[in-house]
Amino acid sequence: MAYELMKGTRVLDLTMVFAGPVSSRILASLGAEVIKIESAVRPDVFTRGNVYPENDPGTEPWNRGSLFHSLNAGKLGITLNLGTDKGRDLFKRLVKISDVVMENYSPRVMENWGLGYAELKKIKPDIIMASMSGLGHTGPLKDFYMYVPGMEGMSGLTHMTGYTDEPPMLSGFSYGDWTSGGTSAAAILTALYHKKSTGQGQFIDLAGREALIANVGNIIMDYTLNKRVENRMGNDQPYAAPHGCYRCKGEDNWVNIAVENDEQWTGFCKLIGNPDWCKSEKFGNSLNRWQNRADLDKLVEEWTLKQDKFEIMASFQKAGVPAGAVLNMKEVNLNSQLIERGFFNVIDHGEGIGERPIPTQLPAKYNNKDSFIPARAPKFGQDNKYVFGKLLGISNEELSTLEAEKIIGGAPSFPPGRPTRLNLIEAQGAGQIDANYLNELREKYKKDIGTKGTAKSDPK
Amino acid sequence: MTEQAFDKIVVLDCTDGIAGAYCTKLLADFGANVIKIEKPGKGDTTRRMGPFLNDEPDKEKSGTFFYLNTNKKSITLNLESETGRILFLKLVAKADVVVENFAPGKMSALGLSYESLTKKNPKIIMTSITGFGQTGPYRDYKATNLVTFGLSGAMYTSRPATHTSSRPVVEGGRQAEFTTGLLSFSATVAALTNRIDTGKGTWIDMSAQECLASTLGANISEYPYLGLSRKTNPFAIHGYPIGYSVPCKDGWISLTPGLGGAPNIPLLIEKPELLEDPFFTKPAARMAEPEKFDALLTPWLKEHSKWDITKQAQELKLAFTPVLNPGELEEDEQLKAKGFFVKTQHPVMGEVTYPGAPFRLSETPARVGKAPLLGEDNETIYRELGFSKENMVTLIEQGII
Repeated sequence: MAYELMKGTRVLDLTMVFAGPVSSRILASLGAEVIKIESAVRPDVFTRGNVYPENDPGTEPWNRGSLFHSLNAGKLGITLNLGTDKGRDLFKRLVKISDVVMENYSPRVMENWGLGYAELKKIKPDIIMASMSGLGHTGPLKDFYMYVPGMEGMSGLTHMTGYTDEPPMLSGFSYGDWTSGGTSAAAILTALYHKKSTGQGQFIDLAGREALIANVGNIIMDYTLNKRVENRMGNDQPYAAPHGCYRCKGEDNWVNIAVENDEQWTGFCKLIGNPDWCKSEKFGNSLNRWQNRADLDKLVEEWTLKQDKFEIMASFQKAGVPAGAVLNMKEVNLNSQLIERGFFNVIDHGEGIGERPIPTQLPAKYNNKDSFIPARAPKFGQDNKYVFGKLLGISNEELSTLEAEKIIGGAPSFPPGRPTRLNLIEAQGAGQIDANYLNELREKYKKDIGTKGTAKSDPK
Repeated sequence: MTEQAFDKIVVLDCTDGIAGAYCTKLLADFGANVIKIEKPGKGDTTRRMGPFLNDEPDKEKSGTFFYLNTNKKSITLNLESETGRILFLKLVAKADVVVENFAPGKMSALGLSYESLTKKNPKIIMTSITGFGQTGPYRDYKATNLVTFGLSGAMYTSRPATHTSSRPVVEGGRQAEFTTGLLSFSATVAALTNRIDTGKGTWIDMSAQECLASTLGANISEYPYLGLSRKTNPFAIHGYPIGYSVPCKDGWISLTPGLGGAPNIPLLIEKPELLEDPFFTKPAARMAEPEKFDALLTPWLKEHSKWDITKQAQELKLAFTPVLNPGELEEDEQLKAKGFFVKTQHPVMGEVTYPGAPFRLSETPARVGKAPLLGEDNETIYRELGFSKENMVTLIEQGII
């Protein structure tokens, strides 16, 4: 799903790794022209260099990483060394023709380069600048070293995640990074709306931790109102029972069941064949079920253990009782609901990689707007000619000089591409590996996934 | 008065629960005139959801409702009645956005499909938020926060790095709902911006399953490249399960030596003799015996408080950070310096402090304001539609407002 609603908006994206690229990916999937800026000395190493197709880094590993493909589809890619005067001059020329600059350097870096908001505003009075960081652009702790565990941990979310008597838990999917990026996109879109209505630009201070706090605001209210600190409670939800994740037939198969009222409880009992314990007074009303939920969960799991998670989901949902299978990444990629609605775009990543499904970052379906399939994530420096040549009007000769001076172009300084240590993942039980994945995908998507690879780097 | 981004925008919020309310809260906090349309008598579901001020269950004392509905107005209106429908369409004529989260097909059944709304207002934007979207085989499935977590893939990855076969656990709070609200907001704002150029509205179909699945795009993309489904956080194999919580004197800290190694940890724990120990120079050594590695750190950590550890570690450029509980945020020095928490007055709750906006805009910052009482704005808004006080009494008697 991608729609051309923000066509005509140009974004200069200096961000790296996860949070920033999520934000600009959302803008790109709305049709904005996002120019991702890397340099030979500063490529987006972590995502470019991880998880290669069929675990083969190839000769240009930096163009093959799945994380990079997923997070950067639909963007243009240029190389520009901002550590040089000439590089910064070129950047300023780009600012002059852009609407948004986004960055996630540590505070001060942009100022030290003379590229802080005050400077950019002189070049382009209505520029929007978004600075993304863990704790914000100002304040005594702004220079903290932190990654996603810091953002999640300092927001209250980690404290609230996990089972009551077990350690607080980090999310399994870098949720804090995504939330930081998703919230940054919301901020930039708000600023773009304002700019379009009034012509005014502005500065956005996006602290990943504050974005996360907003997402647990309802829990924090117990403290601001009653000075009470809520605690993590696993999969419990107050006064809902049975409510949890139950083991099913097969290896590592689970189903979520969420009975939230008496009507659903009656439906639930009927679905599992009205065993005697369903009639017990212990479970006779929602308060009793909540108080005796530990006993109830055991009884429910005795039943689910012999069932298939998808069959439970289908029969429960048919009867109006909320239930859902716990899907692994294979099952998500093959999920009929997601595929039918166009959640995945099958994107051709070129020779040696071929077509692979890439998930949407802004899953909104607009009923009467033009949609498009995003271009593959940019190969390293692939759009230098379009951006410097066509947008800035720099001659081919000058471009060659800039390349020779290492202002633009060059190969990324990149560690040797290493395959993912699948054996280690298996030994640690950190993941499930399906060797037949290409065939599974081909069958489901009815496409020759992973083999075609006809798209060239195809610069604009 | 400071200007806000959505000053001139009128939003009709017919949602119930968390996701839709968070979407319209962001619109309201950044200036939109959001009219929340609630069921006569009962009001929104979150009015019955805790925490309640002083633990008194009261539809005007819910902290959840308050937080999700700041800066909105409230009217009561029964959309199931014919008169209710007519009144709603009168409001639509003057609105820019309608946000709703009825089950798919319900708005049509009420005679309020997107097409019918465009007849009253061709430029209207309608944002429909459901568990699985308006189409597809799961269209009529019931979603809850927990169910969405499972069906997006997020739950499968949510297990401790050291116990990857254990029962998956849902993220704390209501993250599926907040994330859906956040993305619905962005989708709506993009439509509003587009409308300035094109003059055209649109109907936006949002699915909670898709919203949450998009948050783990990176995990999802490992399958088509490698056939991999992770059962825990992806850092777990980089030499040490980083970011997991370890106990200290007064709680927990997130231990994140960084991907490359942890050469400064011996200095932190006052054991310089360990500087050359493989545990601190070779990720593989730590990975082979994580319990032994933990045992080296734990005694020192248990003697120090989380802020003491954090500040010393940060001096050594170690990304150690405290695990803070929801009660430690209001007094947090960084959040205080940034003025993150804000205060306002509420006629029933008195002075209320709540967490501020998730992002800061220098020229059009979020405004501070209370949540509305149930039907607080009936008189003003129905009078604007041309109803006299007498007419309104009739509407109340008929259970329409």
